[in-house]
Amino acid sequence: MITIDKMCYHSKLRYENAGEKFAFAVITLLICVMSRSAAVAGIVLAVTGVLTVWKGGIPVARYVRFLTVPLAFLILSTAAIMFNIRRTPLDLFALPIGGWYLTASSHSFFYAVSLVLTALAAVSCLYFLSFTTPMPDILQVLRRLHCPKLMIEMMLLIYRFIFILLDTASAISTSQDCRMGNRDYKTSLKSFGMLGSVLMIRAVSRSGKLYDSMEARCYDGTIRVLSENHPPKKKVIAGIVCFELLLFSFAL
Amino acid sequence: MSKRQKKIITLAAAFALMFGIVPNVSAMHIMEGYLPGAFCIAWGVLCVPFLIAGFMSIKKTISQNRKLITLLAMSGAFIFVISSLKIPSVTGSCSHMTGTGLGAILFGPASVSILGIIVLLFQAILLAHGGLTTLGANVFSMAIAGPFVSYGIYFVCKKTGVNKRVSVFLAATIGDLFTYCVTAVQMAIAHHADTTIFGAMGKFLAVFAPTQVPLAIIEGIITVVIVMGLESYAKPELRAVGFLKEAK
Repeated sequence: MITIDKMCYHSKLRYENAGEKFAFAVITLLICVMSRSAAVAGIVLAVTGVLTVWKGGIPVARYVRFLTVPLAFLILSTAAIMFNIRRTPLDLFALPIGGWYLTASSHSFFYAVSLVLTALAAVSCLYFLSFTTPMPDILQVLRRLHCPKLMIEMMLLIYRFIFILLDTASAISTSQDCRMGNRDYKTSLKSFGMLGSVLMIRAVSRSGKLYDSMEARCYDGTIRVLSENHPPKKKVIAGIVCFELLLFSFAL
Repeated sequence: MSKRQKKIITLAAAFALMFGIVPNVSAMHIMEGYLPGAFCIAWGVLCVPFLIAGFMSIKKTISQNRKLITLLAMSGAFIFVISSLKIPSVTGSCSHMTGTGLGAILFGPASVSILGIIVLLFQAILLAHGGLTTLGANVFSMAIAGPFVSYGIYFVCKKTGVNKRVSVFLAATIGDLFTYCVTAVQMAIAHHADTTIFGAMGKFLAVFAPTQVPLAIIEGIITVVIVMGLESYAKPELRAVGFLKEAK
């Protein structure tokens, strides 16, 4: 259903300690965003890419395709930053349109390039986390960080329900397809709306049933789940600390 | 066919192809790493009071009636699923709803702020829409500003006795457009290389308008169909959800 979720359970780095992976991804992300230099971004992109693909065993084609997910946003907003429409041309280039110029300055060009690199590097950090660490492990880390108990519990339940509802939604949309539910644009809008309302009705009745079954199993306000514990390895921690220190000194 | 005509056709084809494969016109999630550090922190801090208020309201609701926790979680999952499904779009690119208007109308703005932060976190990690550092900015535009405007419009329309379909449509569409304007403002404050903030804002608004304006209208229509469907088939379920709204 959700490709990233499926892939991360197959990752070879899955059974590493979740805290290590979380710390690595988040600290690298922070250094990358704070420094905003193209060189740091390049290093980060290379290191996290190699770790995710080579160490984690995610197919390269998949990984590259996922890097293009935010492409639409990136192209549009970078175009908005770089190009200007004004009466006087700027120093990089200028295309005359009537009495106006579509123009860019070299300053904004370099700004845009470093921005694109930083954004891609940041996305690769995020992918390192989400391609190697399943959601329950991330929740375990958040619990260690003293995130409120109610939030964690809600997240656990929502994570579980997402798959139930996606299943229901895909069954409904398959049967709508079979019955010519997407024949033309107007019908498909109506079908989508009907899917939404039926999904909501199913969701509410499901939630009632789930609560009853939790109550039957002695639910007293906390959901207790067993978690596998993979102790952190000294070598890995040392490696992470060295890498972050190097990156940090490079960023300065 | 002259040489010039051929050239024009090739150019047009390349242009069409480029926009044809642009994969995901999602709602206006600001991408990971696109905002400088200081702005990420500032937007995050701005969200905190709303999140605390939402958290307190949810906590109180649940301590009064423990059964509502599964309902609340189901509502969060519902918002996630609705916003991750492809909606039928005119241009053929695949686009998604924000679900903020629908969420605000069904569950009220206080609980949507908390559900919103969880949903946005999941969208960042599982779908790569948005990101961890831009979470604060995205929460502000999509889980706080949009829903509050939607709910306000819906409430005012209800008080003044406007037709229900019209009021739902207005709430969802204007809430969506407001989200898009807030995002443009957030980006303009962070990035204005050679113009003023207002110039940059104009540019961001112009660049995203062709995708976002039709999307907002489609979202409005779909929200009307969903709410009408619920009104006719699911009175008891709506009453159950109404509990979340009353407890504020």
